[in-house]
Amino acid sequence: MDGMMSRRKKILCAAIAVLIAILFLFPIYWLVQLSFKPDMEAFGRVLTYYPHTFTVSPWQENLDDPVFITSLRNSFINGFLTMGITLLLGVPAAYGMGRYKVRGSVLFLLTFLVSQMLPASLTLTPLYLIFNSAKLLGTHISSPIAIAASSIPFAVITLRPFFRSVPVTLDEAARLDGCGPVRAFFYVMIPAVKTGIITIIVISFLNGWNDLVYSMTFNVGADMRPLTANIYKFQSAYGTKWNCIMAYGTILVLPVVILFIFMQKYIVGGLTAGAVKE
Amino acid sequence: MMKKILALVLMLAVCFSVFAVAHAEPTEVELWHYFDSSNDKDMINKWVDDYNALQDKIHITATYVSRQELMNQYAIGAISGELPDIGMVDSPDMASFISLGVFADITDQLNAWGELDQFYPGPLSSCMDAEGKLYGLPQNTNCLALGCNMDLLKAAGYDHMPKDLTELKEMVAKTSDPENGIYGMAMCCIGTEEGTFQLLPWLRSSVGGQGVNVDNLTAQSAVDGLTVLGDFIHNNYMSKEAVNWTQADAWYAFCAGKAAMVECGTWHLAMTGDINGAFEYDFCLLPTGEEGTSTSTIGGENFGICTGCKDTDACVDFLKWMCSKEKEAEWAVGAGKIPVRGDSEAEYTYETKGFQVFVDEMNYAQARGPHAEWPTISEAIYTACQSVFVDNADPAEALAKAMETIAPIVAENPLP
Amino acid sequence: MQKRKISVSAQKRKEAYFFILPAFFYILLVMGYPMVYNAVLSLKNMDVKNLKSGASVFIGLQNYTELFGNETFRLVLKNTFVFTIACLVFQFTIGFAFALFFKQHFPLSGLIRGMILISYMMPMAVTGLLGKNMFMNDGLINDLLKRIGMTGPEWLTNTTYSLPAVIIMNCWVGIPFNMLLLISGLTSIHDDVYESAMIDGAGWGKRFVFITLPLMKSSILAVLMLGFIYTFRAFDLMYIMTKGGPLNSTDVLGTYSYMFSFTQFKFSRGAAVAMVLFACLFVVGMFYLHLLRREEE
Repeated sequence: MDGMMSRRKKILCAAIAVLIAILFLFPIYWLVQLSFKPDMEAFGRVLTYYPHTFTVSPWQENLDDPVFITSLRNSFINGFLTMGITLLLGVPAAYGMGRYKVRGSVLFLLTFLVSQMLPASLTLTPLYLIFNSAKLLGTHISSPIAIAASSIPFAVITLRPFFRSVPVTLDEAARLDGCGPVRAFFYVMIPAVKTGIITIIVISFLNGWNDLVYSMTFNVGADMRPLTANIYKFQSAYGTKWNCIMAYGTILVLPVVILFIFMQKYIVGGLTAGAVKE
Repeated sequence: MMKKILALVLMLAVCFSVFAVAHAEPTEVELWHYFDSSNDKDMINKWVDDYNALQDKIHITATYVSRQELMNQYAIGAISGELPDIGMVDSPDMASFISLGVFADITDQLNAWGELDQFYPGPLSSCMDAEGKLYGLPQNTNCLALGCNMDLLKAAGYDHMPKDLTELKEMVAKTSDPENGIYGMAMCCIGTEEGTFQLLPWLRSSVGGQGVNVDNLTAQSAVDGLTVLGDFIHNNYMSKEAVNWTQADAWYAFCAGKAAMVECGTWHLAMTGDINGAFEYDFCLLPTGEEGTSTSTIGGENFGICTGCKDTDACVDFLKWMCSKEKEAEWAVGAGKIPVRGDSEAEYTYETKGFQVFVDEMNYAQARGPHAEWPTISEAIYTACQSVFVDNADPAEALAKAMETIAPIVAENPLP
Repeated sequence: MQKRKISVSAQKRKEAYFFILPAFFYILLVMGYPMVYNAVLSLKNMDVKNLKSGASVFIGLQNYTELFGNETFRLVLKNTFVFTIACLVFQFTIGFAFALFFKQHFPLSGLIRGMILISYMMPMAVTGLLGKNMFMNDGLINDLLKRIGMTGPEWLTNTTYSLPAVIIMNCWVGIPFNMLLLISGLTSIHDDVYESAMIDGAGWGKRFVFITLPLMKSSILAVLMLGFIYTFRAFDLMYIMTKGGPLNSTDVLGTYSYMFSFTQFKFSRGAAVAMVLFACLFVVGMFYLHLLRREEE
């Protein structure tokens, strides 16, 4: 398929892609440039498209905050724990539901779907009651448990079709080679649905990283709060002091972007591997 | 030998236990607050440290929780029972939380203190339930007045600030210059409690009659007050963005030179640095009526002892210390607030003229509620006003609709 | 229907349960209780006046009948559907087009595809704030429109344009999300399927309709279903960007129920709104399962 594209068409496609990128990334540029403006320019009378007076003071203000590093750590903990729980429980469940026909599979699927249907704000109180009696309030695991409850069903629903589309011959061959179900799952199925798994890794991590409402409710102490909970604090402290908020927003997005640049390589890798194989 | 060692060990053990009793660990208690500007935040942290060093009954840990989140924590805490020991609350919300059982009745401890009669009745009443029982102490108070950009007023041909509502209307019209992004007036009309706070002085306007409370919003004076604000917006004298602005947003618009006048709070006096010398500014009574009168709303924060507190008496002692004559004055100066006690003398070291205006304005300021269902009343008020600003609704009809919500609530439990 | 295509041996069933049950019980524990809790609460009259005394009583369906008699609630219900359907239409079609486009191999395709995912990866809190800034009456969007000779509307201070502004912001996040999921699905279709079709002389349109769509069917269903759920229960975006305003014009069931529970402390009323939200999603979920079962038979 690759070879079919003419040089001219490739250039045309690239040009369209650049246009799309400009359209989608301009708001990000807007976010970043606002963070380098002094107060009066950020909410002044005249709209400027780049900082006419360049300043790093909004950044300084944020980075000087002693809880910043702790919050950054907490955000990573949230992301990785959510990812861990999701992979541990969600991927096997997706496999089980994609490859086996068992009684109750409709019930399982229904449960996974239905669990997504209450707004997070309304599950807060009952979950709080559960965590309170389980002595989990104020621990790092509480929010990931709640967040994973929505990313596990996500993993099941999106990965199930992947497992279904893997040719039956593949794991039958593995079984003939003497693999047990668990070995077959790890050594044959998981590599076969690599792209899907990477998607789940990225999205479940982001679910944990981006969470606001659970982390704020289950952890009140400053040393337990992730970055997202802090941006909320900045919003009320400054009214809408755009430059400081946007600096914080940029800080919040930055690690994810860096992380994603590495992940992106694997996704592209998965793609080309598929193309080469055939 | 053996005996001697045994005796020694015993003696040591006795000494140790005596030592341990004498230095009993203070009870760990938690205080939640939402002070987030750097002045307030630093001061509360310092005070807590000071108080911890001052006595050894309790050791307080102060935790910042953003305002909205604090409200949620109280609501969930009311159901689950997990609350801090000492909690801060915005004065109009206190009645709801008292009703929800968040705060403990500390009437007896406070009466025994003997200093309650020094407190201004308005702020103190916000700590009471319908039967007059006390659940906390007001810690600071504030109100609303008018900030003016004197350069813009001068450019429009005025050498003074508006004295009454008629003059305000005239000045707002003259100073507006929408072409250049300058509006005559800025205020906060957002759909939250903040909006109600700023809208109420206008609804309570006394032009052509007696100013009314929120249980009588269909009165002509309230309709007229709302009509004035509606006209500001429809004539482009006030940015329509006001319906999305918080008070901080309105203040920044003023500081950025986008508004000639702004409805602002006492605490903004500690933030005049934001103007950065860009223009001359001054403050005056909120001109909502005839010359020499004004209306305003009382704001401020209370501290209460939460139900399930680990050492109620010791925590009440902290409240008494925090709301003492000296500490009240110190807080008012540091945070740009007004003391809640008549005997506190705040010696402001900056904006002294401005503070005098706000202290005068306090004479005209009214409390919101207290009422357990204030949030519902408040929603009816800002919704009515927003429907005038956004949907061009008729002010009389909009307020009549608000009364449909408010009337049954105040019929069941009247406002004080 | 009578004949099972695959007979399930006891061994196989054990294996399946081994994989599925841990997740199943986890969800039942963490989400089942909140669901029951809300359902029960919605039948009571718990609010600020009776929480402390514990005097709340069961009042049957009164919360629901009062809600449906309320003009504002009906507006909120309408907003929720308009928001969801508009977002779904735009983000799915554009997301699918992007997926097909970026699946091709051309210079920058991988890089740009990754870059536009940034908007999806941002916390909604930041997205909401950004939207609030860009859609100000004298903000970026209207300034750009002015530059091309158009007068932009008052976005967030007008009840007609506030919902479109929120929809645009949500699509900015949703399009990359749809693209990411669909591109994963597309890569599982092997190129040789297309190649043989091309040898048979099938054009682009035919290949799309007869190969891509059928092979993607379960992926598409999953994407639409998840998209519906996530959009329908939206909360963060409105909460930060507009607080549901002005005048409930961007209020959706998620924000409305939150307002009842945590601003007005009408806990039972808030739970009833949440149950309505749940019921709508439940119907859609059943429909999805029905389609899925028909397809998998």
